Amino acid sequence: MVSTELLSQSIINGLLLGGIYVTVGVGFALVFGVLEIIDFAVGEYVMLGAFTGAIVAPMVGGEGLLVVPLAFVAFFLVGVVIQPFIHHVTTGDRPMPLLMGLVFTFGLATFMRGSILTIFGPNTRNVPTNALSGGIEIGGLGTFPEVRVVTAVVGVLSLVAFMYYLYRTTGGTAIRAIAEDRDIARLMGVNINRYQSIAYGVYAGLTATGGVFIGLIYSAGPGMGLQYTAFAFFMIVLAGLGYLPGIIISGIVLGLAQSLTAVYLGGELVFFVLFGMIYVLLLVRPEGLLGKGEVA
Amino acid sequence: MRDNLKNTVNRRQFTKAAGLTGALGVTGVAGCLGGGSDRGGDKFKFGVVTSLSGDLRFGGEVTRRGYDLWKKTINENGGIEVDGSSYEVELTYADAKSDPSTGADAASQMITSEKVDAVLGPYSSNVTLAVAPIMEKNQTPHISGSAESPRIWEEQYKHTFGTVPTVTLIARQAAEEILSLDPTAESVYVSGVNGPFSKATASAMRDAAENKGVEVLAYDLNPSDTDWTSVVSSAKSEDPDLHFHGGHIGSHVSLLKAADQLNYDPNGFFCHYGVNTSDFKDGLGGDASGTFGATVWLPSIERTGGKLFGSAADYAKAARDEFDQSPDYTQAASSAAGIVYQQALEELGAAPPLSDTEQSKLVSILEDIEVQTFYGDVTFDKEGDFYHNNTTTSPLPVQLQGDDDEAVVVGSSASASEANYPVSE
Repeated sequence: MVSTELLSQSIINGLLLGGIYVTVGVGFALVFGVLEIIDFAVGEYVMLGAFTGAIVAPMVGGEGLLVVPLAFVAFFLVGVVIQPFIHHVTTGDRPMPLLMGLVFTFGLATFMRGSILTIFGPNTRNVPTNALSGGIEIGGLGTFPEVRVVTAVVGVLSLVAFMYYLYRTTGGTAIRAIAEDRDIARLMGVNINRYQSIAYGVYAGLTATGGVFIGLIYSAGPGMGLQYTAFAFFMIVLAGLGYLPGIIISGIVLGLAQSLTAVYLGGELVFFVLFGMIYVLLLVRPEGLLGKGEVA
Repeated sequence: MRDNLKNTVNRRQFTKAAGLTGALGVTGVAGCLGGGSDRGGDKFKFGVVTSLSGDLRFGGEVTRRGYDLWKKTINENGGIEVDGSSYEVELTYADAKSDPSTGADAASQMITSEKVDAVLGPYSSNVTLAVAPIMEKNQTPHISGSAESPRIWEEQYKHTFGTVPTVTLIARQAAEEILSLDPTAESVYVSGVNGPFSKATASAMRDAAENKGVEVLAYDLNPSDTDWTSVVSSAKSEDPDLHFHGGHIGSHVSLLKAADQLNYDPNGFFCHYGVNTSDFKDGLGGDASGTFGATVWLPSIERTGGKLFGSAADYAKAARDEFDQSPDYTQAASSAAGIVYQQALEELGAAPPLSDTEQSKLVSILEDIEVQTFYGDVTFDKEGDFYHNNTTTSPLPVQLQGDDDEAVVVGSSASASEANYPVSE
């Protein structure tokens, strides 16, 4: 017999897990949809953000939440510095820019992971927080873990804020123009390098910020990134390639599928079900769950 | 942009990009691998296949510290003595990258190219299960200082030995002790990671509960990368007295963090393996306290002593001096694996490099060997389900206690401390 409380708790878990995925997927969808880069380093930005939380939090009174703005600013700057290199290997007379970007960011990911392993060693590290501890019990529904609720809210707000920037500001219009046709945008006077750097910087900043929250929820470890890279790919496929708002839906679907499968079908089947969903979707609905993604 | 996708790849440019990628990658992981295949006759050469990268890198590093400390200490003591001559020890490492097939390839490469005299085994049962057949095929002696899955010994590999007792024994005996704490538990929730070692651990925990007449509310296996809130939610709805979990350190940390977030608070958590490692304590911060675990060795334990290190405390001091952190039982068992080889080679009386016949004789000596070490007495079973596993060293239930979360022995033994049970904050 299905317990109502376990069902509602599983739905809460799934929704909040989806919120965690949204924090990672937002930036990844942004660079794919706007800059048309498949960034293999997305999970490593998560890992670096989590490590930043683990290293810096003890210096600011043991509160990981205080690291969030710092991580955003620091990795925004990192992204601004890295983007010209990606631009360099994906433009000019280079063939297959998507592949070039993939290869470059794969190397970047390996470098990031290896560097952290070499500098900090293999240990898992706690990202402490005193502000978000335990969960809020709501009778009849279940427990809402504080840190996961805040993470999900931040993920959704990040997406909304970025959508606002993209569709309601001059800078966002410029970025969309670049995505539409780089040459025409340049002819219209758009500073391509500047806006691409901003977009990549925002992506790096958002993803590392997500990493701080993920560190608060789980912990920080040098090998954690690959999992989030895989989930980021899942996210944009489910959302529909290039369709940013679909990220919320895809995060929720992934989170709920994972949570409900684990409880009602068995934890061993979780990844079987998730991979199955992706493959079936690619076969029957390549434009994503909402049908608004790009297809060749 | 998409038009560009239709273009043909320019090989030179692609190579440049790939080269840059490789350079970046190599820079990041530099220093992980040993090299060189020159084979002189003045040293015993041991191959080590362990995980220096990937998910199991922490455990791989633990085994590496154990093997390295043995090598350093024995070389400082003049090396292995054979017929009045001393031969230093050389270790050559290959990275299994936490992947069984990579480990098998690395082992094969090590035997054919590096021409090692013997092999010290990988971290994790998964990789050991892949490496052991390679050793069998090449008839190369192989001692694991870490693998615990019973499946390794059930395969009856003639050339593979292990210094850590199988988890079937460690987890079961420790679980029975924890289930006997007052107030006696009436129900238990058993979760675990779906891998050879972890599954065997969870299974042994379940068997222990059933043997004690304790109700097993669930036996819940999951992938290692799962989000453990689902398990915690299910467990919380069952309201068990105790929660047992079989897995590696990463899953312990994730499970206990999820438990904290969902206010799940049974009388105690028993996790095997690694609660007394810095990885576990660092991963949980202050929330590690009170967790039960199992071990076969602690720095404070009384053991016979013997070659190289006079006592467990002596070994722990040497390890702290060398690595600036306390050793756990896997590190100790890895060093003990080296000591077992040391005694076996002394008994063999052959100078390096070993011929095929001498390697075969070395295996025969290992089958009959009895070694007293700081880790405990080591012998290997000659038949049965634990064939070539060291079942002599006794398991101990432990709990993290005190401000420093030190692992102390609990349970019924004479030297046991009082358990904090039901666990209070």
